[in-house]
Amino acid sequence: MSTYEFIDHKFDVVVVGAGGSGLRAALGCAQAGLKTACITKVFPTRSHTVAAQGGISASLGNMGEDDWRWHMYDTVKGSDWLGDQDAIEYLCRNAPAAVYELEHWGVPFSRTADGKIYQRAFGGMTRNFGEAPIQRTCAAADRTGHAMLHTMYGQSLAHDTEFFIEFFALDLIMDEGVCRGVTAWKLDDGTLHRFQAQLVILATGGYGRAYFSATSAHTCTGDGGGMVLRAGLPLQDMEFVQFHPTGIYGAGCLITEGARGEGGYLTNSEGERFMERYAPTVKDLAPRDMVSRAMTMEIREGRGVGPKKDHIFLHLDHLDPKILAERLPGISESAKIFAGVDVTKEPIPVLPTVHYNMGGIPTNFYSEVVTKDGKNPDKTVPGLMAVGEAACVSVHGANRLGSNSLIDLVVFGRSAALRAADTIKAGATQPELKDHMTDAHLARLDRFRNAQGSTPTAALRLEMQMAMQEDAAVYRTSEALASGVKRMHAVAAKRPDLKVTDRSMIWNSDLMETLELDNLIGQALVTVVGAHNRTESRGAHAHEDFPERDDKTWMKHTLTWFDDPTGKVKIDYRPVHDYTMTNEIAPFPPKARVY
Amino acid sequence: MAEIRLPKNSRVTPGKHWPAPQGAGKVKTFKVYRYDPDSGQNPRWDTYDVDVSQCGPMVLDVLIHIKNTIDPTLTFRRSCREGICGSCAMNIAGRNTLACTHGHEECPGDKVSISPLPHMPVVKDLIPDLTLFYAQYASVEPWLKTETPEPQKEWAQSPQDREKLDGLYECILCACCSTSCPSYWWNQEKYLGPAALLHAYRWIIDSRDEATGERLDELEDPFKLYRCHTIMNCAQVCPKGLNPAKAIAEVKKMLVERVV
Amino acid sequence: MASYRTPLSRARGLGSAKHGVGHWIGERVGAVALIPLTIWAVYAVMRLAALDYYGAVEWISTPLNMTLMVLTLAISFWHMHSGLRVVVEDYIHKTLTKTGLLLLNLFVCGLAGALAVFSVLKVALGGA
Repeated sequence: MSTYEFIDHKFDVVVVGAGGSGLRAALGCAQAGLKTACITKVFPTRSHTVAAQGGISASLGNMGEDDWRWHMYDTVKGSDWLGDQDAIEYLCRNAPAAVYELEHWGVPFSRTADGKIYQRAFGGMTRNFGEAPIQRTCAAADRTGHAMLHTMYGQSLAHDTEFFIEFFALDLIMDEGVCRGVTAWKLDDGTLHRFQAQLVILATGGYGRAYFSATSAHTCTGDGGGMVLRAGLPLQDMEFVQFHPTGIYGAGCLITEGARGEGGYLTNSEGERFMERYAPTVKDLAPRDMVSRAMTMEIREGRGVGPKKDHIFLHLDHLDPKILAERLPGISESAKIFAGVDVTKEPIPVLPTVHYNMGGIPTNFYSEVVTKDGKNPDKTVPGLMAVGEAACVSVHGANRLGSNSLIDLVVFGRSAALRAADTIKAGATQPELKDHMTDAHLARLDRFRNAQGSTPTAALRLEMQMAMQEDAAVYRTSEALASGVKRMHAVAAKRPDLKVTDRSMIWNSDLMETLELDNLIGQALVTVVGAHNRTESRGAHAHEDFPERDDKTWMKHTLTWFDDPTGKVKIDYRPVHDYTMTNEIAPFPPKARVY
Repeated sequence: MAEIRLPKNSRVTPGKHWPAPQGAGKVKTFKVYRYDPDSGQNPRWDTYDVDVSQCGPMVLDVLIHIKNTIDPTLTFRRSCREGICGSCAMNIAGRNTLACTHGHEECPGDKVSISPLPHMPVVKDLIPDLTLFYAQYASVEPWLKTETPEPQKEWAQSPQDREKLDGLYECILCACCSTSCPSYWWNQEKYLGPAALLHAYRWIIDSRDEATGERLDELEDPFKLYRCHTIMNCAQVCPKGLNPAKAIAEVKKMLVERVV
Repeated sequence: MASYRTPLSRARGLGSAKHGVGHWIGERVGAVALIPLTIWAVYAVMRLAALDYYGAVEWISTPLNMTLMVLTLAISFWHMHSGLRVVVEDYIHKTLTKTGLLLLNLFVCGLAGALAVFSVLKVALGGA
């Protein structure tokens, strides 16, 4: 192994990732007087939060009466009762304040005639515990994530967050079960860095790129999840992968659910608005898992559109062009560029596309990472937090409602910062780091850097993506999942045969993609193993051989550990928190999930 | 004097040719700027004959195809692939744009040149160093400044006032505009460039902001602002269809309004 | 050339001069003023070409013609100075060369303008 040297940094808090949750957490920590670093592999405004379109949910009640309890009920029901109700209560109670805070920072929300934040309808958001759709999703046209991310980046420039941009995080520095920091590779000069911190907050996003077709950015490789697995910690509920009903056919780019919130609807080859059959009350505004399943059913039964009858139409052509220009300008542009469609005249060809990972690094609602230790299912991992899509709090349970992700980012980004301020002392003495804590990090980097096998990174990545796409799709069967498990084990076993061509340390994107692939493989494997293991249907996990939800056996979170050298996956469980945070609201007991 | 020729170590030399595989379908040639910082050599033009029937419609699809199947060492930034993150800005067939939303069919000629954003230091291949560009953005203090105590709920803003932010807040900081501006090429160290000025105006015109005067003060400078000579390249190339030149003109108008 | 200045320090540079709008307005006002003045000057040249020496002196001695002629020349040279100054600022970056050229521009335009204005006044007022 060639010799590598670390450049050392010491902080109170190190945030990994500069998307919505990372920026919010970093900002909060800096405001609390903690010396905070934010390391990110892309410039902050290039993080995938930027691509969020439709909006951010909060019961502001700007468009008529609303109540955080209704929001909570919808979220619990949307999660198919797999969400932790204490965390969901925390989310929904704190949502309005979080949105006002964003507004005070300058987010250019669309406005109502009386100058308030405009809110639109979104899937699964209802009034009075499921009665009828409600307008709860605060929007900045259809560029809400972009507006939020840019505003938060601007805001963090106003505070003392120190950014380390285009630093690729390698691994967590673990010391007898305590996280002491993180190592990173600086792309533009090839140096290696060791960030020591009292607290590491992972805000590394989802791993959508484990699939072949995803709305996720190329950079959504779940690097935090990969690091956590290598640190010997579990991931939770990884089998729940959300398919967004309206990804542009072919390109996979996202068309916001807000399109349906503004009155758009789906049709099959017979021109039928088929969602009326599947969800009579809320129709096209059913939650995403249901709409994706309905679309898949229509296509399977031969009612798909197009020459191959393999997709569905999304109609916006009946809407006033003025409304489209004002409220949905971004997707009008995307439809033009990626589908060649003028939305004022023609429908958009769409297909359910991988969009979001409900699963992730298990945390409590303080955003502290938890693991199961013997009988204790809520043992916190000292020095480690996780927020955003990388985390599994779990507020989204088995299925996330649209616009609940942006609110998740800011509410739990803030909660992480508050907890950090409560639990650590600025400038406290930190123990000295030892080389043995990071030797494995360097060995891994060096191994991949000099990988001389016969499988190019792109080839193995494609093999993984096809396995996931084919065997862990909207509908799953025992047979497909068994095949997926086998294929993914084969992919994991091929890692020693990887071939990296570029040997440089400066912006070696060949090596970076290989490290990302390694992060993806572990997560893809536990996803498919977890899915194979869960013999029921719940939320986004639709198992054809077990079409019913089975609360007796499966009302529990899956925990999966991945043994990197052998590729073995270990499964255990944590109970779902079926209790609330305060006495001000009773938990919602499980019942059939119909809309 | 302004330099007419590139410095000696930046002159581009002919590079490697990668022919199309046997039996390729529709072949198109892409001439790509390569620079390897480790080699100590001058940048070069590598040419790739790409079977475009094997890849998607956009230039980014072509680049990814090259990286995946022909030459894994080719380096470029990319992320969202839908024109919202601003990572893959580069100069394609002589024009700054986003590789992910620019179709290779749109490029004239049978040889398409692809190079990094012009007039910026190159880190490697198609990756420019945008540090100064980002710092210029930071220097306009892109955050809402208020002194009036914040309301319990949102600051009220009329739809008309909100509409004034349209065409401004959509900027994705891809740097296509600034790096297409001759004035920015000549006076990068002193002129803020169209992107930073567009953002400055975005906060100046925000009805909620209370620091309009200070913001204008900071801009009133022969170089920071007045190096804009209304060349309009910025508006021509903006991949989001924004018009930074107009935003700059509005700032100049406000400065006049303040004294007249 | 390695620079260890922080990027923000580079971007902020010497800070805002907090002037420039006057110069900008001046350029525009001058340009606008030169439109009628140039048309008038063309007319004046044609007029003068048709006159003999004494006729020309007499013509230029009328208060209106003299004033317009002085204004045309003064504003033209001032405008030329502004324009050339921008060109120098745009393209010349070496401090010494730049300062030299800016001074040269000022002196040449100033001298030429002053000469022109003085000549008109001499003809118009001197009764030569």
